[in-house]
Amino acid sequence: MQDFLELAVSATASGCVYGLIALAYLLMIRPTGIINFAVGEWAMVAAFGGYVLLTQHELPYPLGMGIVLAFMLLVGWVTERIAVRPLVEKGAGVLAPILALLGVLVITREIISVSFPPDPLPVPFAVDIQYYKYFVIGITLAVFVAAWLFFEKTVWGRSFEAVALNRRAAALMGINLSRVTAFSFAGGAAVAGLGGLLVAPNISAHYLMGVPLAIQGFTALVIGGVGRVEGALLGGLLLAFAEQFTIRYAPIPGGFAQGVPLLFLMIFLIMRPTGLLKARA
Amino acid sequence: MRWLGAFLVLSGAAFLLGDYHNDVYRKMLLWVTLALGYNFLFGICGQVSFSHFAFYGIGAYSVVILLFQLHVPLPLAILLGVAVCIVVALAVAIPATRLEGFYLALATLALAQLFVVLLNEGGDITGGTGGIANYRLPAMLGLQIRGPWYTGVIVFLLLLTLWVLVKLDRSWFGRACRAVRDNPEAAAAMGIDVARTRVAAFTLTSALAGVAGMVYAFVDNTVNPPIFGLENAFLLLFMVIVGGSGRHAGAVIGAVLLFLLPFWLSPLVGHHHVLVFGVLMLAAILLQPKGLIGLWDQCRHRFSR
Repeated sequence: MQDFLELAVSATASGCVYGLIALAYLLMIRPTGIINFAVGEWAMVAAFGGYVLLTQHELPYPLGMGIVLAFMLLVGWVTERIAVRPLVEKGAGVLAPILALLGVLVITREIISVSFPPDPLPVPFAVDIQYYKYFVIGITLAVFVAAWLFFEKTVWGRSFEAVALNRRAAALMGINLSRVTAFSFAGGAAVAGLGGLLVAPNISAHYLMGVPLAIQGFTALVIGGVGRVEGALLGGLLLAFAEQFTIRYAPIPGGFAQGVPLLFLMIFLIMRPTGLLKARA
Repeated sequence: MRWLGAFLVLSGAAFLLGDYHNDVYRKMLLWVTLALGYNFLFGICGQVSFSHFAFYGIGAYSVVILLFQLHVPLPLAILLGVAVCIVVALAVAIPATRLEGFYLALATLALAQLFVVLLNEGGDITGGTGGIANYRLPAMLGLQIRGPWYTGVIVFLLLLTLWVLVKLDRSWFGRACRAVRDNPEAAAAMGIDVARTRVAAFTLTSALAGVAGMVYAFVDNTVNPPIFGLENAFLLLFMVIVGGSGRHAGAVIGAVLLFLLPFWLSPLVGHHHVLVFGVLMLAAILLQPKGLIGLWDQCRHRFSR
């Protein structure tokens, strides 16, 4: 029982990280329809930011975290400016920015791999390692509550929803589309960065950590559905539980457990592409 | 006649090259073959797939496993390998293409990753992380094909692929693919079965990639998981976009350029040529969506006026 509970807590904590990455996707997909695979690389950039500020310069955790997140807002905004806005303004379809962002993914990763040594780099825990899981869970819950309140209760959040439902109508109602897009990318980068920073102490900052996170986060998103914010968290939790319980209890070699999220992704794409939660009408 | 000439020139070139350059040349030809197939899928039919390289791997692994672990004769092994590719392709494409949007890309991304996981964990069957090595192409009709002669096989494969794709592109099927890419609703209204066209294009190009993989298996006489990872699937996409998607010549230019670029760049940037690829790809999408071939067209247009 003790064992089971510990496993449940650790699955919840990693589910929270997947949920954050899924939320980052969701923030960008809802208003723009753009699937940005670079979120994994953004998480990686934030993890390296954590290494530089918290390990090398030994800043206090809240300050370091604040700087990293502010930097991520900037990264997201700049990415949108360079790789998305020119294409949207040219009237290119949704595929062109998705491909351009794949280019950004590769460029981001290579810049990091040029600038840092290739070994995994340590990032410190925010609180004592024993309580770190609860810290991750708490922060994630706070972010999700904030995101939920934002979408449900604020005019700004409603304008996001309006753009998601009908771009043209939203623009005609006086919503500034390019501002919404810029904001969604900045927010997505910050949320992805938070996920990267939270997971970094456990897995260390490494330049190849992005793609697996991107796939796990996306799987969480597909499971939960892109319609609702809570779906991202639910998807993340389900995925993490499935993953960790297969590793622990299923009689298959550990390597195969890496295949669990991928199988989940394929099954859900095929059986239930709208996700578990339906979008609200 | 032109095809025969191209065959003689391209395979003749192999006899003029040394061992090392011959090796580079063959791999370049294989990349061009893959890029041509991928171009048909992505550029002409408008489907983003990340599994093209996985099918290359499925072809390579299945022929090696069939030949050397199940001791199937070569012609049968080739047919079975193609069959494996087709079955896997259909299993992914039929459900994925029913859905609108980007789902094929995601399903194939999962497939590509899953394939590498299976290779790594396959134990004795796939040789695990080390892959399978130390085998040789079985003799056919008492002949052992090797060295530059094997390059001839690759050239034959390349030209066969190109021939099939050009014929298809000019047929009703190619036009249906382009129609599906540009406007699926309009295509459906014209009586084209959109889902079936997508599935057919995906399965066909995946099978072609599988055949290329079988040929690849005897280039280095080793197959191992890292070769068939996601990195190369990205590279393939970059090649087609940088060269000019939707055009056979574009795919050839992109593949040759991005394949040779690391050799020229390595004195300057070492192993960081992927950074240059990313920049090129981004520049292509932002500045010249038709790629290098589009740039060439523009130049020609300007001078001919």
